[in-house]
Amino acid sequence: MNFKKSYIVAKWEYLEKVKTKTFIISLFLTPLILIVFTILPTMLAEEGSENTKFIGFIDTSGVYLPLMREKLEQIILPNGQPNYILVNFSGKSKHIEQLKSVADSNVIDGRIEGYIIVYQINQDSLKVEYRSKLSGSFIDIQRFETAFNEARIKLKLIDKGIEPDVLKILSTKVNISQIKIEAVGKGTNINFFTTFFSSIVFLLLLMMMIIYSGGMLVRSLLEEKSSRLMEILISSCTPDELITGKIFGLSALGLTQIIIWALVSTTLVNSAVIPSEIFNNILPVLLYFLLGFIFYSSIFVGIGSVVTSEQEAQMITTYLSFILVFPVVFSISIFNNPNTPLISILSYIPLTLPSVMILRINVAPISSIEIFLTIAIMLVSIYITIIVSSKIFRIGILSYGKRPSIKELISWLK
Amino acid sequence: MLVVQNLRKEYNNVVAVDDLSFRIDEGKIFGILGPNGAGKTTTIRTILNIIKPTSGTISFDSKPVTDEFFNIIGYLPEEKGLYKKSKVIDIILYFAQLKNISRLKAAASADFWLKKMEILHYKNKKIDELSKGNQQKVQFITSLIHEPKLLILDEPFSGYDPINQQIIKEMILNFVDSGKIIVLSTHQMETAEKLCSEILLINKGKEVCSGSISQIKKRFGKNHIKIEFEGDSTFLNSLHFVRHIDNYKNYAEIELNENIMPHEFLKEVVDKINITQFSVVEPTLNKIFIDVIKQSKN
Repeated sequence: MNFKKSYIVAKWEYLEKVKTKTFIISLFLTPLILIVFTILPTMLAEEGSENTKFIGFIDTSGVYLPLMREKLEQIILPNGQPNYILVNFSGKSKHIEQLKSVADSNVIDGRIEGYIIVYQINQDSLKVEYRSKLSGSFIDIQRFETAFNEARIKLKLIDKGIEPDVLKILSTKVNISQIKIEAVGKGTNINFFTTFFSSIVFLLLLMMMIIYSGGMLVRSLLEEKSSRLMEILISSCTPDELITGKIFGLSALGLTQIIIWALVSTTLVNSAVIPSEIFNNILPVLLYFLLGFIFYSSIFVGIGSVVTSEQEAQMITTYLSFILVFPVVFSISIFNNPNTPLISILSYIPLTLPSVMILRINVAPISSIEIFLTIAIMLVSIYITIIVSSKIFRIGILSYGKRPSIKELISWLK
Repeated sequence: MLVVQNLRKEYNNVVAVDDLSFRIDEGKIFGILGPNGAGKTTTIRTILNIIKPTSGTISFDSKPVTDEFFNIIGYLPEEKGLYKKSKVIDIILYFAQLKNISRLKAAASADFWLKKMEILHYKNKKIDELSKGNQQKVQFITSLIHEPKLLILDEPFSGYDPINQQIIKEMILNFVDSGKIIVLSTHQMETAEKLCSEILLINKGKEVCSGSISQIKKRFGKNHIKIEFEGDSTFLNSLHFVRHIDNYKNYAEIELNENIMPHEFLKEVVDKINITQFSVVEPTLNKIFIDVIKQSKN
């Protein structure tokens, strides 16, 4: 095998594809999706709004308003303004239904964001509603709930003659923080959101890369086949040299993408937009990522040499990449228990191995034996796929017209 | 010198090429002719080392054809096409480098050939911005930029206007003058007749006839005559040694039976009509082609 020729092919494939619009679009579109996926949860967990919200308050008993005000108006926006201002809508004389309709029309006119209404059902029973045009952000509701309950308990304590400061002691909560043991005495904080999202994001990236570059590979093979350029190519180098060049060219393209994305993400981590926990297991993740990518690319070379139309190619590439992301279905169960038999089986099947391992590695430490074993499986699978693909390729590229049947394909492999 | 001996290729028990043998010397254009599906492409592909023959040998300069052979061979397939989104110069350099020519050297010869083909100004254009004829010129350049010792051209003239056909023809002739071997596969008998020094006519994978154009014409043309005359010529139609006749009023094209020489025919008819012109004609390659293929069908 003449690696110089493979190198020329790889260089050509790389340079010609790196210039295409599809590549440039995917280069920017994919990190955009990554950013949306990772920033969104971070943003949701933080401040909801930029502007002071006017919240109506209806309470015929009149006891809760001052306490609620005290609590809620402590919450300050970044610009120094209070986050919420409570507006009293409880006129003494009016009936509760009348008060409601006044408040409703205020909400509809946009003068207030929404309002809280307290129904006193009997001495010990209350019902509280928050009525608004839009379903309120869950952070708002949570705050109203906390404030209201504090107020209620405070009133109860006063009622029973207990010092209300006791509440401070009562409401102090101790959180149990989860620590993942990686080695004796060494652990990392687990944050469900970051673990989950970082794993899913890597998987999505891998899938998108495979769909789009697999599609690109299959399309270019089709083009070369239909224009008979293929015949010129294989009268210049062997099919094996050609296929190796193509796979390496494509892998270099994938690597370029990863590097650019890594640079983008490091910048984002440094500017604290993305939580840095995502990069805890970056090296093994990247390794599985790359192996998965090469494995699928070599499958696509075989497919590309037998498909007869672009639609057919598109269909097969999409279905195949679904197999890759199939383990995402089990992601929740992987997070609960990464050691179920099904997950173990999926981590040894080359088609799903990369994605399962990317998911697992972020959840629980994986023994180095298993890492070596899975990497060995990937390497062997890649080797076998390249051999099988190149056999199919050698015959497929010279047969035109009809797509070969499975039976014919098997006879090609002999 | 390219030598092909007893070449045979089977696909799933269908014989595509059966026992073909020929040799081509340096400085010669060798035509492989035959109807569609005769086995021309299979023959070409085995010479190119793209497919392995079932049996038989191919050697070039007394050495068997191996992967080393890639760099001294040039190929222009029948159906032409290039990477549509790529630049002319990039494609030429890519194929040249695949033939083991350094980028620097390839760049220099690319300019030379582009200029010769009168498309130097398209050097940095993308292929799909070029007309079909100009795209084919680029492809023609890619097949010979590495100065192959053996150049295989499959229907090189299809798709060109007469002016460009002339340019290509001249380039082929110049190329072969420098001691190269060209294998030409074509349906255009007129072109083959003008360019090829030797031809091989195949049908259903088998050789039908081969040799130099003059030999073949001699072999197939000795019994064709053309006469111009005055007088009643209807008796010609019933002469027993006439195999076939196209009789016009004062002019006839006659094919004689194999054992009859033209002068015997002349003796027979000279008293009966007033002959103004008599000639033994060489049939065109086209005529030979059609006749021979028809014959082999029967």
